[in-house]
Amino acid sequence: MSKEKNSYDGSISSSYKNKELLKGALVLGIITTFIISIAIAGAFLAWWIIPIEWMYLMTIIVYSVFGAIILIVYIYNSAYVRNFTYKISENHIIIKHGVFTKIVATIPYSRIQNINIVNGVFDRMFKTFTVKIETAGSTAAAASAQRGNIKPEGYIPGLKDPYIIEKKITEMMTKLSTVPSGLEDKIFKPEELAFDNFISYILSKMREGEKLKTSITKLREKANLSAANLAEKVGVPLQTINYLAEGRYNPSLALAYKIAEVLNCKIEDLFKLV
Amino acid sequence: MKFKKKIASRIKQFREELDLPQLELAKLVGVSRQTIYYLERGSYNPSLTISFKISEIFKKPIHEIFYQEPIIKDILEGKSLAELREVAKIAGINIEKLASLSEIDDEQLTKDFKEDMLIKIALGLEIDFEDLFEKEAK
Repeated sequence: MSKEKNSYDGSISSSYKNKELLKGALVLGIITTFIISIAIAGAFLAWWIIPIEWMYLMTIIVYSVFGAIILIVYIYNSAYVRNFTYKISENHIIIKHGVFTKIVATIPYSRIQNINIVNGVFDRMFKTFTVKIETAGSTAAAASAQRGNIKPEGYIPGLKDPYIIEKKITEMMTKLSTVPSGLEDKIFKPEELAFDNFISYILSKMREGEKLKTSITKLREKANLSAANLAEKVGVPLQTINYLAEGRYNPSLALAYKIAEVLNCKIEDLFKLV
Repeated sequence: MKFKKKIASRIKQFREELDLPQLELAKLVGVSRQTIYYLERGSYNPSLTISFKISEIFKKPIHEIFYQEPIIKDILEGKSLAELREVAKIAGINIEKLASLSEIDDEQLTKDFKEDMLIKIALGLEIDFEDLFEKEAK
């Protein structure tokens, strides 16, 4: 767990159970009132068959059933809230939920099509949001779409602040999909050199002995800069600095110059070919 | 305000000092002759590993072989006097001041030139402002 320092864990707000309770109470309330009013109407029409005392009894029974169902809904949803956790990790979103049947849904970022933030009528009452993560070709979505009720695989209800999640997910997705700045330049420009560079890039990746040793982190700390500060000053994404510090990426000379300028040192102090 | 810079090199000079043909150097570095050609022309930003190898071959530190040069310098040097006059006229400055752009550093640039003046110069040169200058990060 501690290995994934960038993952984000979360649970859902208990407002969700109140919301579901209200929803259930409304629906059930309408149904019970309907049943009772029909029964009372029937009793008035056939007063000589059904004694009025029975009516009292029946009303009590119907309402206690109503109360019992509400209680069950409440307990169920409390358990649902308690059991619901999600984790936004480097490669996928993991949603664990379920009261009786436990479900662990793992959604890789590559399959996410869009993220919807839903704020329905009941949601607004309890100031919660539902985040729906739509995935490509999910059978669940296709099946429920036919019923007119879309509940995608990535369904996180009862969130107080959905934008944190959205931001986290977008962050992780861009991290996965961005080419470190400079890399694109190096491989694809100028066009005449594209193939040549592509091959030499692959070759340099294959050659073991050509590794860059870097003291970028040391020099950065000496200059009292955080990685994010440095990235901003150099004008590259933070990921580029991280890749560089890990020695995973061979920068272009222009980038190396920029970093050397910011850290006020020589390129040879920053990098060494080993 | 800052100049947008590119990597220029003295490879050609050092290569001729050693009497080393382009192809030989290319083989030593492990790249194609074309790459060396582009490096000498200054139209290619090499990777750091290639830079290190070249610096090893010439036995000189990287900053002596490769240096940063304002992109505008090359552009101004490629223009004829008549063209420069035209650009100066559009920017509303005299031609000496325009020519000084290829000599000065970032500090001097900020001191001597206002942003709108540089925008006009870029306009006169028919090149995007962002390709010639960059604004200082705050």
